[in-house]
Amino acid sequence: MSETASGSADKSVQVKLVLLGEAAVGKSSVVLRFVSNEFQPNKEPTIGAAFLTQKCRLEDRILRYEIWDTAGQERFHSLAPMYYRNAQAAVVVYDVTKASSLEKAKSWVKELQRQANPNIVIALAGNKVDLVQPSASSPSAASHSESEDEADDATATPGETAGTAGEPESLRQVPREEAQAYATEAGLLFFETSAKTGEGIVDIFTEIAKKIPIEHILAASRGGSGRPGASGGRTDSTRQQGVNLEENATKGKDACNC
Amino acid sequence: MVLKLVFDSISARLYLPREYFVLTDAGKPVFISRPGGGDQDGMVSTIGIMQALISVFLDDHDKLRCINAGQTRITFLLRPPLYYACASSWGEPESVIRSHLEYLHLQILSIVTATQLKRIFERRTNFDLRRLLNGAEPFMHSLLSRLETDIAMTMSSLNCLKVEPNLRKRLAESLVPNSKMKDILYIILIANDRVVTLIRPKKHSIHPADLHIIMNTIHSPSIYNSPASASWVPVCLPKFNPAVFVNAYIAFLRKDDSEGLNESGVALVCINGGGDLEAVRSWFDSVIIKLSSDGTLNALLSAHRSKETEYSVSELGIPGLRHFIYKSRAQVQITLPTFEDPYDEPHARKRLITLYQTLHDSIHAKSGQEAGLKLQYIRTETESVMGWITQPFELYVTLSPLLPKSAAVGAANAVARWVKKEEARLFLKDAPVF
Repeated sequence: MSETASGSADKSVQVKLVLLGEAAVGKSSVVLRFVSNEFQPNKEPTIGAAFLTQKCRLEDRILRYEIWDTAGQERFHSLAPMYYRNAQAAVVVYDVTKASSLEKAKSWVKELQRQANPNIVIALAGNKVDLVQPSASSPSAASHSESEDEADDATATPGETAGTAGEPESLRQVPREEAQAYATEAGLLFFETSAKTGEGIVDIFTEIAKKIPIEHILAASRGGSGRPGASGGRTDSTRQQGVNLEENATKGKDACNC
Repeated sequence: MVLKLVFDSISARLYLPREYFVLTDAGKPVFISRPGGGDQDGMVSTIGIMQALISVFLDDHDKLRCINAGQTRITFLLRPPLYYACASSWGEPESVIRSHLEYLHLQILSIVTATQLKRIFERRTNFDLRRLLNGAEPFMHSLLSRLETDIAMTMSSLNCLKVEPNLRKRLAESLVPNSKMKDILYIILIANDRVVTLIRPKKHSIHPADLHIIMNTIHSPSIYNSPASASWVPVCLPKFNPAVFVNAYIAFLRKDDSEGLNESGVALVCINGGGDLEAVRSWFDSVIIKLSSDGTLNALLSAHRSKETEYSVSELGIPGLRHFIYKSRAQVQITLPTFEDPYDEPHARKRLITLYQTLHDSIHAKSGQEAGLKLQYIRTETESVMGWITQPFELYVTLSPLLPKSAAVGAANAVARWVKKEEARLFLKDAPVF
């Protein structure tokens, strides 16, 4: 736990990063690969958001990523501003085998560009690319049979069984060129990734690190104005789910008296 | 005589998994828990029949409470726009299943809020709620498995961890929020699925049902098994306020040694009403550093390791006593020894818990009895149990069936004396408020 201490003592630069994207595209798996270099098939869906940290070395600097890995389910959508407010970077993830997930990613990008910190660095990641690669890049064909889907039946990747032979490319629903063209047009970093094999994962975070205006962050935090980038984030009072603690005091006789 | 017949058949019961159904008042399935899953053929028609039966009674301005079919009872709970049903053949009192269904309802409200639920179904009576609950099924499954074994839920009370009072006090003092922390509702330290201490504002206490919803939420696999150092989860606490979400910031304090990931399950939880997650996070970091550096966290972990946080019924030295549950009515807390032979075996434990529930039901006249009993004694071929209610406590004792009733009375008095002596360790009292 000690590593989560907000240490201004070490010389690392803190970068707040948020992961967004449709349910079951592999956001948590991307983070898990980056943070622990692990992969777990059939991960439980994330609830709310999970916080993780990881350091990343860039030349003579050390960046400390503070990562909010958010839940993709629709009912958590309204909470997203809480996580992308003041974020210096965002990774928007889609699933290369699911065309609709790119549409969802585009709407996240739009929301970020409208509402988040104007200097935010956004990367688009097309995940599960291992499912659409010929077996040349994955050592055994058998590894295809294990899909990297999260435990979410509603969004299961189609054709998981098509691993052994035939044309794995047929699983692909989002051509690389199409996503690349969109990313260029929208000014995003772009990667195709596989949390399962590790392909492209570290690259996202190093490329983001290169693009982050580090001096700007340092200046902002030296200025004592609290969190870097705070000035850029807009506040929207409607999304604050404040609670009036005066209401509904549970004073009933069956309330715990401790 | 009737009573005897019922309890003679107890040891023959199989305790097959209970089946739960949640549907909308328009007859759409919301959640089904049954062996083999809820997606089999025929489930849609089963749900349809349930909805039809409920409607027939509603048309007559009546409510269908339950259907008895041999050993099986199907119990219904109507919480429009949702209907709940459970089929069980465990022989428990009707009130037990009713409380299960009520908990299931509270768990659903904790995910969508009562206000949101009402609004959705006002607009579209035919709404498919499964869409909104997508990914939340594990919460419901874990709640149902808790309800099977967690007697604190039946008794609507807290089950605290047994800890030296001095350690509990020192831990609590570190958890009092500073003045910069806004909108804090509760701060809870948990170990091994039990409350170590709970800090709350002066003007609020916590409802046991809300606490059980919190406990179930943080122990669900998506949070408990997550490699993240913390999770931030919106949750509605229906007894606190069914209209809003509050935020639960949850950190499992893991030790990265050979002990295994969450073996001790020490978790710090902060329930707050505001959205300032950075303030909560940095406060958490400072609290965790404090708990680690002043040795209190280690003291808690070593108490857990050496099993000081549990106790065996043999420590009481009461002849013939096999198990007991003591509820302090003033504290709304229970204490119980570990389930040891023969109750370490699931079948026997289910049988015992069902007996405790039967006593609890009679004492409180929960299933429509004319009046509650002060004392009830039941003897079966496998054990004898006695429930006893007084002003300060409720007590349930289990003894060998071969002992006379006077032995049960003597044991109950001895347990009450022992708990009084150990009170400071067993219960959470005088936790700081702010």
